[in-house]
Amino acid sequence: MKQTSLIGQLIDALRCLPGVGPKSAQRMAFHLLERDRNGARRLAHLLVESADKIGHCSQCRTLTEHEICAICANTGRDRSLLCVVEMPTDVAAIEHSNVYRGLYFVLLGHLSPLDGIGPDQIGLDILSARLAQQEVREVILATNSTVEGEATAHYIAELAKGYKINISRIARGVPMGGELEYVDGGTLSHAMASRQLI
Amino acid sequence: MYQRISLEPAYVLHQRPYQDSGLLLEVFTLNHGRVGLVARGVRKPKGRWQSLLQPFVPLLLSWSGRGELGTLVDAEMDGAACPLKGSLVLSGFYLNELLTRLLHRHDPHPELFDYYQALLRRLSPLEESGGQQLQQWLRLFEMRLLEEMGYALVLEHDVITGAAINTEINYSYQLGAGPVAVTEGLLVVRGRSLLALAAGDLAEIEVLRDAKRLMRAALDQQLGGRPLHSRQLLIDLQRTTGAAAAQSANLHKTEE
Repeated sequence: MKQTSLIGQLIDALRCLPGVGPKSAQRMAFHLLERDRNGARRLAHLLVESADKIGHCSQCRTLTEHEICAICANTGRDRSLLCVVEMPTDVAAIEHSNVYRGLYFVLLGHLSPLDGIGPDQIGLDILSARLAQQEVREVILATNSTVEGEATAHYIAELAKGYKINISRIARGVPMGGELEYVDGGTLSHAMASRQLI
Repeated sequence: MYQRISLEPAYVLHQRPYQDSGLLLEVFTLNHGRVGLVARGVRKPKGRWQSLLQPFVPLLLSWSGRGELGTLVDAEMDGAACPLKGSLVLSGFYLNELLTRLLHRHDPHPELFDYYQALLRRLSPLEESGGQQLQQWLRLFEMRLLEEMGYALVLEHDVITGAAINTEINYSYQLGAGPVAVTEGLLVVRGRSLLALAAGDLAEIEVLRDAKRLMRAALDQQLGGRPLHSRQLLIDLQRTTGAAAAQSANLHKTEE
């Protein structure tokens, strides 16, 4: 069997990243080795540390190295609002928009019976326990606008009904700066159906 | 064998991420049955077809390729979408799971496709599931599916004596064979239920119950004992709704 050189192994290992094929993996490896050895050491150190220490927040399930993430621990946030999202990247997207001051709950997926993903796999037992504490007054369902996302939102809405909590679903419609001509039919029909009086 | 198929009526049964920005689709088509397709570059911010490649959307798909998996070339919507509301989506998943699990790839079932399409159109205006009407439609779909697979249920005569089904007596349904007139046995079904099922008339609640037991047993046999996840999810949802109602009643009580 052919022995792979260390550099070959490095190139191969870099390919585990999304969007990185053999060519870009090679470019990254050569760049780190030839131009930025310190950067390489720092990266290696942080990767090991992150892989060992980062887990999920015990309250909202987002990624954090602490028991409770910075958002859940922040006393300045509105604890009566709970926004349910599918992925930690969704939390980042909403945080980036700077419009929301409540807390989050991250499902880490969506209901998908054909993949065998049911309520327990997306932490609905934890969510249920959270709602039972009666701290949350409104649940905002911000799952993706896909069929699975809708099914998940519906399921959580049914779950939350027992706790006398307001349940809302984020709106869908025409994107900012969007021209109607280029908006797809599905989005347009939702936009029409959920139009508002002004 | 290289194929190129254009504008084929189809529905997405299931999709899962494939590589960085692609999707692996399981689609049900009019003339080619269940087909596996790769759609590249769909999950990018400006990916094409993103809103189209969803379950329950009537599509015209074009693909090319040889062997097991084709490559999606084009997708467009075919008429109005029939979005399913609330828990009806879960019933839709149930249909899709049945088709995914039970149909062989590249085995055409044009009549079943039409039936599936018509069923989705009828489900779309319904508000909530759990209704008797929905149950009837699902049972008829299951019966149709078994028929298409070549396992149509014998419903009109006793398989041992050959006598016509008597509406007044009970039969034990032997899976893989048919009804047998016995006083005791497994899967006991009323004679009148069998005949009603043969006529496709499930209006009576008793008939519907018998049909449910019979279909479940027949499908489980075909599924090789592996459970249907969407069925479990529907059961979980019913339990959740029930628990929610009880919880809410409790809250009211404590307030009073």
